[in-house]
Amino acid sequence: MPKLIIDNLEVTVPEGTNVLEAARKLDIVIPHFCYHKALGAVGSCRLCAMMFLEGPVSGVQMACMIPAQDGMVIATNDPEAVELREHVIEWAMTNHPHDCPVCDEGGECQLQEMTVAGGHAVRRYTGPKCTFTNQDLGPFVQQEMNRCITCYRCVRTYRDYCGGEDYGVFGSRNRVFFGRVEEGPLESFFAGNIIDACPTGVLTNKPFRFKSRSWDLQEAPSICPHCSLGCAVIPGGRYRELQRIRAGVNETTNGFFICDRGRFGYDHVNHPERPREPRIDGQPASMAETLAAVRTRVQDLVQKHGPAAVAFLGSSRASFEANALLREWATQVGSPHLVFEAHQGRDRAARVLAARLGEHARSLEDVRQSDLIVLCGADPLAEGPMLALAIRQAARNGAQVVVIDPRSVKLPCSATRLPLASGRLPEVLKALSQKDLSAFSRQERSVLDGLAAQLESARQPILIGAADLLAEAGVTALCAAATKLSTPERPVGAMVLLSGPNSYGGAMLTGAADDFDTVLDAIQEGRIHALVCLSSDPFREAMAPARAQAALGHLELLVTIDSTPTLAAQRADIFLPARASAEMAGSYVNNEGRMQAFLPVLNPGLPISQTGAGNHPPREFFLQTPGSEPEEDWLILAQLLESASDLATIRQRLASSDQRFTELPAIAPETPGIRMSGSGQLPPAPPSELPHCTPSDTLTLLAVSAPLGSHWLAHLSAPLAAQEPQPYVCLHPEQAKELGLNAGDRARLITHLGHCHVVVKIDEMMVSGQVMAPQLMNTALEGMLPGSVLDCRLEREVQV
Amino acid sequence: MNLWRDIKGTFQPFWITLGYLFKKPVTIQYPEEKRIPPPRYRARIVLTRDPDGNERCVACHLCSAACPVDCISMQAAEDEHGRRYAAWFRLNFSRCIFCGLCTEACPTMAIQTTPDYEICNRNILKLVHEKEDLLVDGCGKDETYNFYEHSGIGVVNERGGNEDEYGPVDPKSLMP
Repeated sequence: MPKLIIDNLEVTVPEGTNVLEAARKLDIVIPHFCYHKALGAVGSCRLCAMMFLEGPVSGVQMACMIPAQDGMVIATNDPEAVELREHVIEWAMTNHPHDCPVCDEGGECQLQEMTVAGGHAVRRYTGPKCTFTNQDLGPFVQQEMNRCITCYRCVRTYRDYCGGEDYGVFGSRNRVFFGRVEEGPLESFFAGNIIDACPTGVLTNKPFRFKSRSWDLQEAPSICPHCSLGCAVIPGGRYRELQRIRAGVNETTNGFFICDRGRFGYDHVNHPERPREPRIDGQPASMAETLAAVRTRVQDLVQKHGPAAVAFLGSSRASFEANALLREWATQVGSPHLVFEAHQGRDRAARVLAARLGEHARSLEDVRQSDLIVLCGADPLAEGPMLALAIRQAARNGAQVVVIDPRSVKLPCSATRLPLASGRLPEVLKALSQKDLSAFSRQERSVLDGLAAQLESARQPILIGAADLLAEAGVTALCAAATKLSTPERPVGAMVLLSGPNSYGGAMLTGAADDFDTVLDAIQEGRIHALVCLSSDPFREAMAPARAQAALGHLELLVTIDSTPTLAAQRADIFLPARASAEMAGSYVNNEGRMQAFLPVLNPGLPISQTGAGNHPPREFFLQTPGSEPEEDWLILAQLLESASDLATIRQRLASSDQRFTELPAIAPETPGIRMSGSGQLPPAPPSELPHCTPSDTLTLLAVSAPLGSHWLAHLSAPLAAQEPQPYVCLHPEQAKELGLNAGDRARLITHLGHCHVVVKIDEMMVSGQVMAPQLMNTALEGMLPGSVLDCRLEREVQV
Repeated sequence: MNLWRDIKGTFQPFWITLGYLFKKPVTIQYPEEKRIPPPRYRARIVLTRDPDGNERCVACHLCSAACPVDCISMQAAEDEHGRRYAAWFRLNFSRCIFCGLCTEACPTMAIQTTPDYEICNRNILKLVHEKEDLLVDGCGKDETYNFYEHSGIGVVNERGGNEDEYGPVDPKSLMP
């Protein structure tokens, strides 16, 4: 632990910390461009020059390049160092254009700040400035190369950290250019991070282009609602519109970066069709009337048919507090029907995980530190993109990555791959834990033998799965394998990607209740008369959508609380508008059981871009902001329960009622969050499945989620919706050859859900015998619920 | 002696008043008669155009940031040539204190104060001026400045075509 003195203040830092970080510990800001904690130091910008007065090094040195050592005495404001920094800024500014007024970075530009701080106000260099031709880098990133100061942070982020390969640096001397070999959209799913990384306005946010100045934005720390990882984000809104999201910092989860789905998936908050007013039987009503109507109608039904006539459906995208209050409501009514996920497979997988994960829980930071990562049935880019980035960091540090999956899982790092049919995933996990690989072919064993040996020797191995493909059996096998392979001195970690930001929280709240399919049966049979849906859409998400739609038609009362235009919201008898996560305070429990709090960014209301139709705000005045009726989901439920309606009291009550949530009142935004203690309950045994006989001439179709197109909130966000792929299927070359299909062919996909037109993609890493189709909202593949396995036929379509 | 001071204090004001009876009055019979303020007077605020007749305002938000009473709001947009402009621009004169800080902040000489002080209105909504009310034909106080000729990002001229720039470099060149 070296001890050093910076500006007459003494500080002790861990071994290996550089002087710049040591100064940051003392709240001394040392100016810098190229240094970034996640990217490391390269010492290329020369801005962090400090005077080293005493100790092992002396003279003016770069603070980011010098590890802190005992006995160092450093002055940040030594005249010699200050003068050098002034010159460095002046050099950086020689070619910088004079366009701050039209640059989106203005207001949050490090170059602007450093120029002002360095006192550079008068331009002494009178020669011409060098210019560049820009490239179109796709729908998310806007390039203006003239502004570049060649700090190399973008390439270090894009290539080194994110593993993208299509962006780099070209040229020599003052022709250094950052871009692609040829103009085109950036391929990496983490491309948006170069926007945050760029210290000036070379790379800016394209969907946010010219929308607002940073100083006008309302910002607050929030949690990303797009997957179960719970990354820290900082959304920004203005004029009642959520306009952008940038990465927050949580070194335990996402670190410093986020994925493009999180970054550009803000627009669901502003969706033009978002239902914003309470409705009773299709007629607008006031919030108070609507709440009263829910109370009386539910009460009437309970009196008429008994408490079991009301079912409650929570959600993985509602706040944890709201889900907990829903459980309270169910208990109060006395109904045994309380489910937190309409998708049966995901629900059961999450509940098994909550019951069995225990000590094996690992955070993304643990993944980054791991030395052996086994991905079994998980496709991080689709199901939890930041996991892919965490795996890459582990791989960069020498970790082995093994992928066992029927799909060709895209990762930003190299991996050992074993294509295996989805049904065999639990089997392989069991075999690995029992060290008995006799059931596998010689080819498969060549990979699995190596893996088994690595599992023995690895220091911090982590088994990673996902709820969709592993399902209940797979998650059970994964947790069992982690337990079996663990030794007291070498615990094995486990991580399972779930469907939503609060899946784990919902699973912890569920008791031993039945799953949603049982509820659907009861509705069909007339035993359940009312359903309360909290931010979920059983019409779309239940395992068999056609059956769900038929059953839900029998309901006497459907109450929906939601912030998005779902089918359940459209068809609800009583609808209560809720706020989106960026509009309220609350908490989510991520897939490792970490409770994380978020704060409201803006109040709900119709965006001025919509009320003004692109022109100035209308000259109409109301006592209430148009579209401001949505309330926090927990507030709606607290009002329905007629109980305390402030967040602190709700959290306090939850903590005192359930031992597992004792830490809930202690969570705060902008902290790493607190992991829940205790575990959930296992779901009741699944009904025995009828033996399935595959008709001849059919293939097995594996429905999975895609990075874009399968996620409801992302689908409602215009910048992402525009990038959703056309319906496609992916299959192994041999399979394609058998069917007479070539890559790019149009084909007809026939399943029991109907038939649709798809484009054929061929991938060598697909398992032979299974066809993969992504669920894509608003296309013919919408009904392909991730995790379902169907029989299908593929016919080539002749082009006319 | 206080008595002398009191007598002087009683009669001197009458004497001064009497003197003004024989001078030309300074009062102007407004509104029949109007005073012309100096050109740099800070009254009605306008948005000017550049010498080519294009809107000067690039909706950079500096005026609204500088405004101490928050009377300026706007939304920026981009046209097909890459020019940043104000999709709408609203100035609330009922709130404006005519301090002129917006004109000092303006990097493009777009927003300017003019000597036209007659903007009173009984209907307060008529004091809320939109862009079409603010935009004038003409350059105002600076007749030559065109921001985009100096900005260095190629909107009115080709990229690298401004006078203090040299043309786009070829990053793939191998010349030393």
